[in-house]
Amino acid sequence: MEPDNAILVDLDHVTLRFERGVVALNDVSLRIHEGERICILGANGSGKSTLASVLCGLLAPDQGGVSLLGRKVAQDGDVNYDAYEAVRRELGLVFQNPDDQIVTTVVEDDVAFGPENLGMAPEQIETRVRRELKRVAMQSFAKADPTRLSGGQKQRVAIAGALAMGPRVLVLDEPGSSLDVRGRRSIMRVMNRLHAAGTTIVHVTHFMEEALCADRVIVMDHGRIILEGEPQRVFSQGDTIRNLGLEEPFSARLASRLAQLGVPVRWTCSADDLKDQLVNLGKELVVDDLAPAGTRSRLGARDEVPASQSPHATEGRISASGVSYSYAGTNGRQAVGGASFEIAPGTSCALIGQTGSGKSTLLRLICALEKPDAGRLEVNGFDVSKRRERRMLHGQVGYVMQHPERQLFAETVWEDVAFGPTNLGLSVEEVGHRCVSALDLVGLADQESASPFDLSGGQQRLCAIAGVLAMRPRLLILDEPMAGLDPRGRQAIRSILGKIHSLGVTVVQVTHSMEDAALQQQVIVLDQGSVVAQGTPHEVFNARTGQTLHERGLGLPQSLAWAQELAASGLDLGQDPLNLNDLARAIAHQLDPAASSSPRDRGKE
Amino acid sequence: MALRLSIGQYYPAESPIHRLDPRAKVGCALVAMASTFLIRTPLQLALGVALALALVAATRIPVTKVLESIRPLVTILVLLGLFNLFLVRDGETLFACGPLLIGAEGAWSAVLYSLRLAIAILMGALMMLTTTPTQLTDAFDAALSPLARLGLPAHEIAMVFSLMLRFIPTIADEAQAIADAQRTRGGALGEGSPLHRCHAIAAILVALFASSVRHANDLARALDARCYAGGEGRSHWHPAHMRPRDWAAVATCVACIAAILFAGTL
Repeated sequence: MEPDNAILVDLDHVTLRFERGVVALNDVSLRIHEGERICILGANGSGKSTLASVLCGLLAPDQGGVSLLGRKVAQDGDVNYDAYEAVRRELGLVFQNPDDQIVTTVVEDDVAFGPENLGMAPEQIETRVRRELKRVAMQSFAKADPTRLSGGQKQRVAIAGALAMGPRVLVLDEPGSSLDVRGRRSIMRVMNRLHAAGTTIVHVTHFMEEALCADRVIVMDHGRIILEGEPQRVFSQGDTIRNLGLEEPFSARLASRLAQLGVPVRWTCSADDLKDQLVNLGKELVVDDLAPAGTRSRLGARDEVPASQSPHATEGRISASGVSYSYAGTNGRQAVGGASFEIAPGTSCALIGQTGSGKSTLLRLICALEKPDAGRLEVNGFDVSKRRERRMLHGQVGYVMQHPERQLFAETVWEDVAFGPTNLGLSVEEVGHRCVSALDLVGLADQESASPFDLSGGQQRLCAIAGVLAMRPRLLILDEPMAGLDPRGRQAIRSILGKIHSLGVTVVQVTHSMEDAALQQQVIVLDQGSVVAQGTPHEVFNARTGQTLHERGLGLPQSLAWAQELAASGLDLGQDPLNLNDLARAIAHQLDPAASSSPRDRGKE
Repeated sequence: MALRLSIGQYYPAESPIHRLDPRAKVGCALVAMASTFLIRTPLQLALGVALALALVAATRIPVTKVLESIRPLVTILVLLGLFNLFLVRDGETLFACGPLLIGAEGAWSAVLYSLRLAIAILMGALMMLTTTPTQLTDAFDAALSPLARLGLPAHEIAMVFSLMLRFIPTIADEAQAIADAQRTRGGALGEGSPLHRCHAIAAILVALFASSVRHANDLARALDARCYAGGEGRSHWHPAHMRPRDWAAVATCVACIAAILFAGTL
């Protein structure tokens, strides 16, 4: 950041209220210089998106002054509309859902839409469209239909559309929150390139790791700026960050945990810095003290798939052999091709694979919403290829779709949750009983008479999940249950699923988070409709599979990636840790074998 | 997702038809479609079919793709044919079996009515397949522009039309997702008492309505962010110009229609 650069955004004690007295921004002051890369963090409902709208001139505050690109556009509710219109032409916005930002059905036409609105000359539009499509690496999709692209590709089209207008500030409001690993990676690459080329970037995100690339991080809560500064300074306030429902970046958490374990590292949130420190510590050790290489031990007792009470129980079991399915009108291209796997009753299982790998289709088959073209799929002991048995399965298999909150419909939370149990034909008392316990489980007991549409985004998700749990399924299927949630919301879902699983329910979830996948008992990897790997987390994620997973648009859990990078720099841990705690203990053990094996460290992170 | 509307989907290819000025193309297509209903004689029909097939070849779109796009309407064509075949009982009897009777007149009407509707549908499908929604919007914009002088928001109507085309598949996918979600919660559509069915449909509509409102809000934000402010001050990446080849296409179209009409007098 060069502070001498022109000030592009200047907010002076800005306050903004919505209807019903909700204060979205509360006395916010902020200056952004040309060429800066700013990251805004905050829990859902902290005012991040409102701030993003104010920054790109879409919302004017009730109080305080706003100067954009050097022009005063609003002062204490006095709005200069002409000035707003003028500066908006040089401010770009990309937000969460790419579907709602794409207004035409041809990629290049969509990129041209903004420049056309600005009244640019055709030759100039041509140059811009070609340049920006190239910049986001989408030039080979210029004539494609956006609805047929993956989420990451669509979001890149949306970014190209914003860039084609030549913005001096580009605001990205959670651009990666609905994307898979590969999609998020590609968006980060585009942002790095833009930053290097001097574009001023404001990035709103839920992912702390992404904030580490920023020049300056701003943390918001209840419409106020709570923390502001360089990433290293902001993330050193670990307690404040956690209290706001956020989490620190992986390296920061690791550094803190290592310090607790007595490893003499200086706190940092820079991964490179921490790695260097550890490698240097390792070099100080005598080689004889190191554990013999080659005997990679395995950590974690969760590793074994539990033998169910009765091995032949069918309830909660999924067994697939050679299951294939293709959608009508796709010329027989198989969405799922010859998938074979077994999920035992009471297992927690993660299904991973990049967009288009067939995960969602497989879930639809398991939920008996589609009939397999070939192969045998048995769920709860029912054969999914038979129409009658498919009908029996509806109501038995709990299915939480992607963004289940979009399916809420009833007037009250209670009615929505009661929909399923009522359809099962249960007595009124039983329905009531189930609603109470489902709402209790997700923590919405006090909201039962509220309208589901008045809940916050995270609560709506919980309400929709409660509606499925009230059916008391022995088999719960979830499609990206944590997509778009902040760290606290993700943790809430994780703990609910943990409770459900501890009741003996089979829990199968599609996830884009390798960390979450590594927490399950079983992992199934899909690519291009086929099961390409399956087993325990340690079988799926290890030193040998990293490269293959990366090629399939996936990755390794961060702790394992760390262990590998340390090994490459000469600090071999001799094991494959799958979570931060295991990694920290392995490092501590390696650096000081005597001190680290005390039982008091076996606590949770 | 499972449900995909293939009608109204642009198919990119390099052909003279793709390159035509959208106004000329849409205008010719609409006039040609209307004039198929003037076809009465076998000679006219043969000419019409030949013209339609020539057009398919000229667009350089794979035949399977064209067929796929009109498939949903084939049922209507077949039904129309069958109605004519069995219900028009005039003319010489060709076939009789119990109450079933097929007359020469019926057989001819079955062929005539189905084929000429097929020609019209095919021409419409070709128009949609070779024209991007942006071009369609421009064409309708141009067609409506005389009304703009009377105060009608011509450009905005055309824009709404184009956004509708863009969002039909999205909303259809969502309707499907909501119906599936309710099916897995035991609320199947098309089962149970009429009251139960009404409830199921109402539940889907409420959820769909809520999601449409959300789309509309997001879309409004997106249009604002990209400085869309109606047709005024807007430029075009590919401004429409009637070039000689567009005039030639219009002339060819007029000549073909005239030829078919003339063939009717022979």
